Amino acid sequence: MTQLLAPKPVDRPKLDEASRQRLERAFSVPRARFGAGLAIAVVLFVWSSMGAQFNFLELGEGASNMGEFLLRLFPPTWDKLGTIVDLLIETLQMAIVGTVLGAVLSLLFAFGAASNIAPRWVYYPFRWGMNIIRSLPDLVIALMFVSAVGLGPFAGILAMTVGSIGSIGKVFAEAMESVDRGPITAMEAVGASRRQIIQYGILPSAAPMLTSYTLLLFEGNVRGATILGLVGAGGIGLELTTAMNMYDYGHLSAMVICIIVLVTVIDQASAIIRRKIT
Amino acid sequence: MSTLVETRRVSLRDLRVRYSPTEPYVLDGVDLDLLAGETVALLGASGSGKSTLMKALTGFAPITSGEAQMAGYDLTRLRPKQLREVRSQIGQIFQQYNLIGRLSVLTNVLTGTLYNAGPVNVLGTFSAADRRRALELLDRVGIVHKADEQARTLSGGQQQRVAIARALMQSPRVILADEPVASLDPRMSHTVLSLLQSIAKDEGIPVLVSLHVLPLALAHSDRIVGLRHGSIVVQGNTSDLDADALAPVYDVHGDEEM
Repeated sequence: MTQLLAPKPVDRPKLDEASRQRLERAFSVPRARFGAGLAIAVVLFVWSSMGAQFNFLELGEGASNMGEFLLRLFPPTWDKLGTIVDLLIETLQMAIVGTVLGAVLSLLFAFGAASNIAPRWVYYPFRWGMNIIRSLPDLVIALMFVSAVGLGPFAGILAMTVGSIGSIGKVFAEAMESVDRGPITAMEAVGASRRQIIQYGILPSAAPMLTSYTLLLFEGNVRGATILGLVGAGGIGLELTTAMNMYDYGHLSAMVICIIVLVTVIDQASAIIRRKIT
Repeated sequence: MSTLVETRRVSLRDLRVRYSPTEPYVLDGVDLDLLAGETVALLGASGSGKSTLMKALTGFAPITSGEAQMAGYDLTRLRPKQLREVRSQIGQIFQQYNLIGRLSVLTNVLTGTLYNAGPVNVLGTFSAADRRRALELLDRVGIVHKADEQARTLSGGQQQRVAIARALMQSPRVILADEPVASLDPRMSHTVLSLLQSIAKDEGIPVLVSLHVLPLALAHSDRIVGLRHGSIVVQGNTSDLDADALAPVYDVHGDEEM
């Protein structure tokens, strides 16, 4: 038996001499492809920085102005701390509602935009829809809702929700697409329906990634909610703009410090949760 | 339905499969019967058509021509709706176990009942009777103490036994095991294969198991079928066969890719 199954003498494939020498060299010269790629990257960067008027010298000269601005921010004045906290809570609440609604809608959209779940004729319209939403700047979406439902946090929440579908919906869809094929095959093999395959084969495997992306969405929404106020869509943004326009730098810096504290706490907490679940 | 057809759970006549009209046949005229209660080992080198045969029996590969009867169904004339029904009656075991890693062992076994699960199951609820049965099956494969653990935390051998319990949960009329021990160590390979053989006897269903290790086939089957280049080259009772008789299955003339 052993004789029978022993490997037979065969002509083993050979490595050609040039490749062998290249592979044996301790120091390898980058290949032409790498050199060309590097050259293109450098040209692209120089072209872009000229077009965008990027200038190190100007940055150096401006540093003193920036220092002056920063100095004006100090000391922060805390007399309106109550207002700041109220507005930050409103901002946080907007982010929470926007994230929950956004995540739920994104999940529904993601089913349509995952190639291993949706048929082609559903997949493409959903992907295009998401691309269109993603290419709209958040402030434009916010302005749209401000004109629809008036000034205030409600418009901000709607803007965040819709914005989420563009950003997180696509990532959700990709998380579902990247699920291991094995469990899906097994579910097909027991005669499961499409709904059951999603429920048992796809969602449990994608769950950690979906949760992780939802937390990232929340972090982003908290930061985003501080800006939406610029167009009157609620949150601390409006107060920020007002303080800037009124040259109320003490108040401005107090707000910025509070935002930094809030965002840092949320980022850290969400990082801990994400580490736990993946 | 005649008794003959009923005992002959799977019956293939001149089965041919190819994935596109321009490609050669992957299965080229296979005749095969699987009888209730027997364990049939399917031997063959990589690319001999073992996996394609399993896939053709479960509707994952297209049958180009020939006859294929499985548990009373004509596999060549299946309506799309029937496909799920047929699959629900075939217990499949895979090389990579294909469990859902983040679900509990018990839930994994319960997914074997999904075809018959009602709309209540949207919430992931399985009946108490099903749960009892799943626990019994886990006990039978010797892994009931892990019922509440996540499937991914189990060793390969344990996962494969959970997969066998899942297949049994389907109350299958046939079990197809495609390289079920290829990722397991020798001792666990013997455990899993003798489990499959005893299931075939106890349940009175045929078990078709593809293998590439000859001694395992000789130790754990009632019959051996040797495939080469998509055709059966050796077929007989295991007790009548030895390594020499099975030589044609493997490539002794050196014309196959290494």
